Amino acid sequence: MNPNMKILLVDDMGTMRKIIKKIITALGFSNIHEAEDGIPAWKMIQEAAASSEPFEFIISDWNMPGMTGIDLLKNVRGNESTKKLPFLMVTAETEQANVVLAVKAGVSNYIVKPFSPDQLKQKIDKIFSAPKK
Amino acid sequence: MNVKNFIDFSKPFIDATKNTFEKMVFTKLNSGKPEIKKDRVARGEISAIIGISGLKKEDGKQSKFRGMILVSFPTDVYIKIANAMLGESYTEYNDEIKDVGAEIINIVVGGAKATLNEFGLYPEMATPTTVQGVNHSISYLDKADVILIPFTSDLGQFFMEICYSDI
Repeated sequence: MNPNMKILLVDDMGTMRKIIKKIITALGFSNIHEAEDGIPAWKMIQEAAASSEPFEFIISDWNMPGMTGIDLLKNVRGNESTKKLPFLMVTAETEQANVVLAVKAGVSNYIVKPFSPDQLKQKIDKIFSAPKK
Repeated sequence: MNVKNFIDFSKPFIDATKNTFEKMVFTKLNSGKPEIKKDRVARGEISAIIGISGLKKEDGKQSKFRGMILVSFPTDVYIKIANAMLGESYTEYNDEIKDVGAEIINIVVGGAKATLNEFGLYPEMATPTTVQGVNHSISYLDKADVILIPFTSDLGQFFMEICYSDI
């Protein structure tokens, strides 16, 4: 994994953004950007895709007030320039139906809160060690 | 809801709280004896509250229920929990840690949902809110039962309240 990989962290709760940022910074990543909701996140993703420095990895919460993580994922997968962007969904929802919904929408991986730093690392490793589609 | 059912209803929240603290606050919790709460005064100075509502499916019948889950922390305990969770060393309550309690209650209720489904309860979660102040009062649901559960840990004591009402 490239430590300079451009990452977008999307969560309406500052606490969770801080926790994830701390974990991924400890893993060696430094090019981390943040958005408070799916609406600004989608704008940032599109603008970056049109620039010379597109995002290379999205970590997004599911439940957010403006645009949810699942709708953000659908937008990403529905757009030619972003459809292959690795996308990790973070959620507090433990219901099986949600996992199915995320998989159907094309999520790269899925992590349920609460998680340990090691569990997050494993999910990220799995995304980037998987054969490219 | 009778007492036994209420204890069954409370257990997934207690278990999810312990799991959340173990994984994200790096702290082991012990839960004390639950008691029925009769007053409206919060036991801590900072309370994070989340409303739930949804369907109850029982013996082929379907009805609706509402609930409210709350965690209430003394300020010093809240700051210690926030510091443990975020790896920081804050000495006072501030904007940087104001949504720590809300994030915790969000994770706890999300974590309890799968177990509640097994009991035939299918709750949807509202957005959590935070109330702050000494002896602040809580607006419970009408005709609701409220159970109070103390938790102790190396970071200090805090309280969970679980409120349930059939509609």
